[in-house]
Amino acid sequence: MRVLAIDSSACTASVAIAEENKILCEFYSNTRLTHSQTLMSMVKDALDCTGIELSTIDLFASSTGPGSFTGIRIGVSAIKGMAQAMKKPCLGVSTLEAIAVNIVLKNCIVCSVMDARCSQVYNATFKCENNTLTRLTEDKALSILELEEYLQTIDDSLPIVLAGDGAELCYSNFMRNNILIAPDIVRFQRATGVGIIALNHLHTNEITTANNLTPKYLRLPQAERELRIKNGEVFK
Amino acid sequence: MIEYMTSSPQSTEQIGKDFGNTLKKGDVVAIFGGMGLGKTVFVKGLAAGMGISAFVSSPTFALVHEYPGNPPLFHFDMYRINSWDDLYSTGFFDYLDLNGVVVIEWSENIEAALPKNCIKVEFMQGNKINERRIIIIGGEKG
Repeated sequence: MRVLAIDSSACTASVAIAEENKILCEFYSNTRLTHSQTLMSMVKDALDCTGIELSTIDLFASSTGPGSFTGIRIGVSAIKGMAQAMKKPCLGVSTLEAIAVNIVLKNCIVCSVMDARCSQVYNATFKCENNTLTRLTEDKALSILELEEYLQTIDDSLPIVLAGDGAELCYSNFMRNNILIAPDIVRFQRATGVGIIALNHLHTNEITTANNLTPKYLRLPQAERELRIKNGEVFK
Repeated sequence: MIEYMTSSPQSTEQIGKDFGNTLKKGDVVAIFGGMGLGKTVFVKGLAAGMGISAFVSSPTFALVHEYPGNPPLFHFDMYRINSWDDLYSTGFFDYLDLNGVVVIEWSENIEAALPKNCIKVEFMQGNKINERRIIIIGGEKG
């Protein structure tokens, strides 16, 4: 099984080719260039460097959210396009799960958390036991406060490892014993994580067709508030 | 806070130009004020003041126009934006991370989503038919 995986769900973009639990190649960029400029040239370079023909890719995988609106659309569209042209299946991977697979420790809770602005985060929590991740909570959007309340309900004999671009924000806010932050180098989502999940496809992920692969956006708590401030006079 | 009175599109454009000249990467400019008050003319001047020579037009239909430059200018029109889902789907929050200058017409419609440190520019009708009052709050000019 050979997978081409993409992540462009936030500021960074990456492309990986993985095979039987081995990463053959990964390209990663963290520039201000938009993903629409960098992603396809990284795909081409990854194929060139490995000498792999696009036609020999068995599965096309992308993180499908949560994350940046345009970033996710670019990654998902690129994967859909290639899979459709090659008549191969697709797999959508939760960005939060792709973050969690970076942290494979013996016994811990992995709390994937992405900054969603205005004191809100995207989060999913996983239990890590003997190199296996088990999902404890679904992907959701919530306030930092609600996440802190939830983490307090978890037995504090287990360390909680915070990962993702919201980890630092939470780490400095949370009062809990036994809480750690993932090192920089493994803190963020990458195409390798997407590729590894695609290869193992952790139960919750279903293989689908290019047609049926869709971005998964989560509704933020702030969306319940008024966007337009009624009778608000800015210049009062 | 700084206040201007203008009585022609040319002078509104010049105010925009002087203001544009003070902008730096990461600035968000929230423009308030109804139709026909000179917002787009102001943004034309603002772009020129940033050293952008491209033709600037209202992004009412496209929602956002991008003008390359150093920094680049992202010109939004929120006239048709009614909900957070609408706003999210314009990519607005992604543009805030691009280190350009973001200028937003019809900021009234997305007021709750404006960054706290944005520069606010309000256009009002003056006493005479061709007179406009422009107030700028925040930033170096405010």
